[in-house]
Amino acid sequence: MSATTLTLRRFNAVDVILWLLRIGVLLIVVIGTLATLIKARYTIAQWLDFVMFGLTIGSIYAQIALGYTMVYGVLRLINFAHGDIVMTGAFAGYFAAAGFDRSGLLESRPVLAMAGILLVAVLTSTCIAVLTERIAYRPFRRVQGLAPLICAIGVSFFLEQTFRGLFGSSVKSYPDPSWLRAAFVVFGFRIPRVDVLVIGLALVFMALLYMVVQRTRMGTAMRAVAEDAEAAALMGIDVNRVIVFTFMLGGVMAGIAGVFYAFLYKQVYFFMGFTPGIKAFGAAVLGGIGSIPGAMLGGFFLGMVESVGPTLFLDGIGIPAPYQLRDLIAFTLLIMVLIFRPQGILGERMARKRA
Amino acid sequence: MALLEIDDIHVFYDKIEALKGVSMSVEEGRIVTLVGGNGAGKSTTLRAVSGLLHPRQGAIRYAGETLGQYGAHEIAAMGLVQVPEGRRIFGRLTVNENLEMGAFTQKNRQQIAEDRERMLTLFPRLRERLRQVAGTLSGGEQQMVATARAMMARPRALLMDEPSMGLSPMMVEQVFETIRTINAQGVTVLLVEQNALLALSIADTGYVMESGRIVLSGSGPELLDDERVRRAYLG
Ligand SMILES: Nc1ncnc2c1ncn2[C@@H]1O[C@H](COP(=O)(O)OP(=O)(O)O)[C@@H](O)[C@H]1O
Ligand SMILES: [Mg+2]
Repeated sequence: MSATTLTLRRFNAVDVILWLLRIGVLLIVVIGTLATLIKARYTIAQWLDFVMFGLTIGSIYAQIALGYTMVYGVLRLINFAHGDIVMTGAFAGYFAAAGFDRSGLLESRPVLAMAGILLVAVLTSTCIAVLTERIAYRPFRRVQGLAPLICAIGVSFFLEQTFRGLFGSSVKSYPDPSWLRAAFVVFGFRIPRVDVLVIGLALVFMALLYMVVQRTRMGTAMRAVAEDAEAAALMGIDVNRVIVFTFMLGGVMAGIAGVFYAFLYKQVYFFMGFTPGIKAFGAAVLGGIGSIPGAMLGGFFLGMVESVGPTLFLDGIGIPAPYQLRDLIAFTLLIMVLIFRPQGILGERMARKRA
Repeated sequence: MALLEIDDIHVFYDKIEALKGVSMSVEEGRIVTLVGGNGAGKSTTLRAVSGLLHPRQGAIRYAGETLGQYGAHEIAAMGLVQVPEGRRIFGRLTVNENLEMGAFTQKNRQQIAEDRERMLTLFPRLRERLRQVAGTLSGGEQQMVATARAMMARPRALLMDEPSMGLSPMMVEQVFETIRTINAQGVTVLLVEQNALLALSIADTGYVMESGRIVLSGSGPELLDDERVRRAYLG
């Protein structure tokens, strides 16, 4: 009896705090947005810049988020090292890009060079993703509790420190070919080419991935394993092969995302995978972890909020240089989602009852 | 020699011995049933046969091979296919995709298409539901999907774990009819049931299990007449 009252009371106190938090954030968003729009300090072109950047970075988060969500789907494991897989792709792409740059190919044959860079990046990140599964995650397959997650964190450190050891801790600047620096002009608005390239290719690759998952035998097997690995095995599906396939798909998307991310920020270093990794994981949770459309949606949504949000929400209420607060906005969003809708936008509750 | 031979297996869940020396033999072409109350160890037996669990002692032989070293997917590929307890269909996949997954071990596209057609003839209800997500079907329809999915793997022996569970009497009737049909097409059936009366009435051979041991065995009619079976299971 007294235990019930106690939990009730505690629940109420927490509830009040949560409501205050909800209202506070909502007030900042609403008032800030109105104030910003009334002040009208930003031009349409500037807003368009924010939107384009939001879509661009969002498409990258979406691709990384796919890796988290697919691996979570089949293994119920948060592959903490996935951000570092992105980093390995970016690094491999860097060496290819630098080589093409020295030979002049990057300027004279953009399509060929870009294809080469992506290929090298994707091969590297995919191999490393598959190796981490085979070496680090498979022995933990039937282990309950936190050990697999801690192993994943270990893999993350291992990759970071290996790349630091091999290539140093300095920031290397990515080549910046002139054809990427240019911009398209549409109705008098400048749209950077790099944005168009990144968004366009990201959409193409994500569409391809979606086709693979929805239409091929291995893709269907992946969804079957995600739902019930044991039943899949009883149907003759080699679950290990499906898991390797899943890590491969995630690795491919990570490699592409790594190259794009590096081209966008024009630099690579051993720790570069951490922030986009953790944000993309958040995007996957935001969309509903385990859901593939959710990961794509979550990625774009997070990118948009992070790019448009600081100025839109914070400029009006007089916060100086709101754009510096991008990460604050992004992580506030993620924390809010975890508190108020842990199953994400498209997700189901994590503990689903089995019939 | 029997198609499937279970020879004195002991299976443990950690320290709990769920099967304490179980032996059974399933002749090719027959319907063999394993009956017993809740928690007797029936599902554990099937899971051991399918390679989901490995006996600590004893052996399972199928078509002249000892299964010990094989994984679950390899055993399924050998033609020993299970319809697990609770059906375990892929609820988020369409009915058609479920059938496709059943045929995962099959490589011949045309033969798969023919098998699918045979299943849709056996279960006409599924034809109109092919594009539907399987989780939205009724219990009876889900049992059809589970059975059809397993049949798509071209089993030589089908292991069925309580296919009548949770179904209406009419659907149960139909499930047993299906089992007879499948058996008549030459598929050996090992049927696990709590519904001993129905199971024994269609079985060539029956085994009765209690607390991880086989306590009785005999032909279907023999067991149906047995005083102990009548008292324990048929009320
Ligand atoms: N995953 C498990 N872990 C521990 N014990 C289990 C597990 N599954 C079944 N058991 C135990 O093993 C025994 C046999 O279970 P089971 O084979 O499922 O019985 P049946 O299918 O005949 O109802 C029961 O006592 C059950 O409690
Ligand atoms: Mg059972």
